[in-house]
Amino acid sequence: MTLSTPVLGIIILIYLLVIFYLGWLGYKNTKETEDYMVAGRKIHPYILALSYGATFISTSAIIGFGGAAGALGMGLLWLAFMNIFVGIFIAFVVFGSKTRRMGVNLNAVTFPELIGRRFQSRFIQGFSGALIGVFMPLYAGIVLIGGARFLESTLSINYDVAVLILTVIVAAYVITGGLIAVMYTDALQGTLMFIGMVFLLVFTYAKMGGVTAAHSALTAMNDLVPESLAAGGHLGWTSMPAFGSPIWWTLVSTLVLGVGIGVIAQPQLAVRFMTVKNDKALNRAVLVGGPFILMMTGVAFTVGALSNAYFYNTVGKISVVVAGGNTDLIMPEFINSAMPDTFVVLFMLTLLAAAMSTLSSQFHTMGTSIGHDFYREYLKKGELGQTINITKIAIAGTILASVVLAYILPISIIARATAIFFGLCAAAFLPMYAGALFWKRMTKEGAIASLLVGTFSSLFWLAFVHKSEAVPLGISKAIFGVDTILTGTWTVVDPILVATPLAIVIAIVVSLMTKPTPQEHLEVCFKK
Amino acid sequence: MLGIDDPQIWLAYILCFVSAIGCIIYGALKWNDDSGEGEVAK
Repeated sequence: MTLSTPVLGIIILIYLLVIFYLGWLGYKNTKETEDYMVAGRKIHPYILALSYGATFISTSAIIGFGGAAGALGMGLLWLAFMNIFVGIFIAFVVFGSKTRRMGVNLNAVTFPELIGRRFQSRFIQGFSGALIGVFMPLYAGIVLIGGARFLESTLSINYDVAVLILTVIVAAYVITGGLIAVMYTDALQGTLMFIGMVFLLVFTYAKMGGVTAAHSALTAMNDLVPESLAAGGHLGWTSMPAFGSPIWWTLVSTLVLGVGIGVIAQPQLAVRFMTVKNDKALNRAVLVGGPFILMMTGVAFTVGALSNAYFYNTVGKISVVVAGGNTDLIMPEFINSAMPDTFVVLFMLTLLAAAMSTLSSQFHTMGTSIGHDFYREYLKKGELGQTINITKIAIAGTILASVVLAYILPISIIARATAIFFGLCAAAFLPMYAGALFWKRMTKEGAIASLLVGTFSSLFWLAFVHKSEAVPLGISKAIFGVDTILTGTWTVVDPILVATPLAIVIAIVVSLMTKPTPQEHLEVCFKK
Repeated sequence: MLGIDDPQIWLAYILCFVSAIGCIIYGALKWNDDSGEGEVAK
């Protein structure tokens, strides 16, 4: 994507000026700890919905997963459905209102604090904070790389300079303006993303003669699936892979279940439920959030798959071949060759917005996890009154860690970062989070056991069994001399399918064996 | 349906729209629903 017109420079400049204005608004409206941590609990539903959606959807969801749809086909639409139904509807309606209310009752300002206070355990808060602080920089690293590569190619600047510019800009408004600045800028970025994706969908279908004609053209290409993919169970771009085949397992366990369910236990998303003042705001946000996510992942996956038909008609090749085997290049290649120039400019802004909105929330969550949850509440037992200042220092520290990671880790590991983080969150936090909200009998010991078992079984599966991570990490190879300690289908089963059920069982068994939480505390937690 | 032969795919395609429209309907119906809510206690 090289389009270094002055017009693009001016558009990006205007965009950045508006971002700074919104960051300044956040700074001006931040007076208390609650403002900085949970936006004063009075965010507008529209801003909540777009901020949640824009944080949820990073550049990698559009480019990376869109490219995966280019290779694997429209089966990824199951993930789009999960994103809307689980990621928005279930998240807001089932988890959101309970989270919001309990957050107020327990005066919690972060996700680890909510769980920690529900189970009266500083260990849970501290451990969860540390876990986020250690592993989220990985996930932030990949988003940072994506955003910086974008700036590098569009503005023709040096990659190192691009990393620096992006980091400094986002850090500036996150550190000074806290969550208010993060959510205001997210809302603007979400709006830009929505416009960009609407155009992408309309142009794509229009270019290919309409909805049915486009899909039919893709269906007609079933026999063009390359040998290597066909051997893995690929049956065509408008068909699900063969049941039980390696591609089917990857699609269903990692993409659809891993990312589709993992989203509920994402700390940077769950904290947003505590930013509104009542359930009405959450319900209203559902109205905006559902269509927003449809236009993000729904469009990216459909267009990614359809790019095969476009390239076959124009250059006689399928997308993976056009992209030289790198699925991350499928979406950029398609947009560059199929879309009008003006749209390419607009779409670049869409991608920059997608990267910045995810990055800002990651920075904020990493900082509050380390500064507030781990350092202040766990190490200092809540003593220091300087929450905001310590959090600011922690944000700067974790940002530095993300930048360093973005430089030192091999790209093969960074590329797996989103899946690693989502899977880890699902196993470590989901059973405990769901129990905290819906199962009064769950005890502190049950929660701690589930947190530890979920975390370590997930990490174990990643390092020793699941091929996609175990091979690039090389830990299994170094210790046991084999790439993975299990073989066959196990190596394509995502950690979430193993670690999460294990953590659920442990949570139930240990809770039933230990003394119930005192009734008085439960009454405070579940007060209406 | 819609040029897609595999029911597992067109079902997913349709469900994406159904769930998004469901979100719109839910939000609209509950637009002014005040039941069961607790305002922030300051």
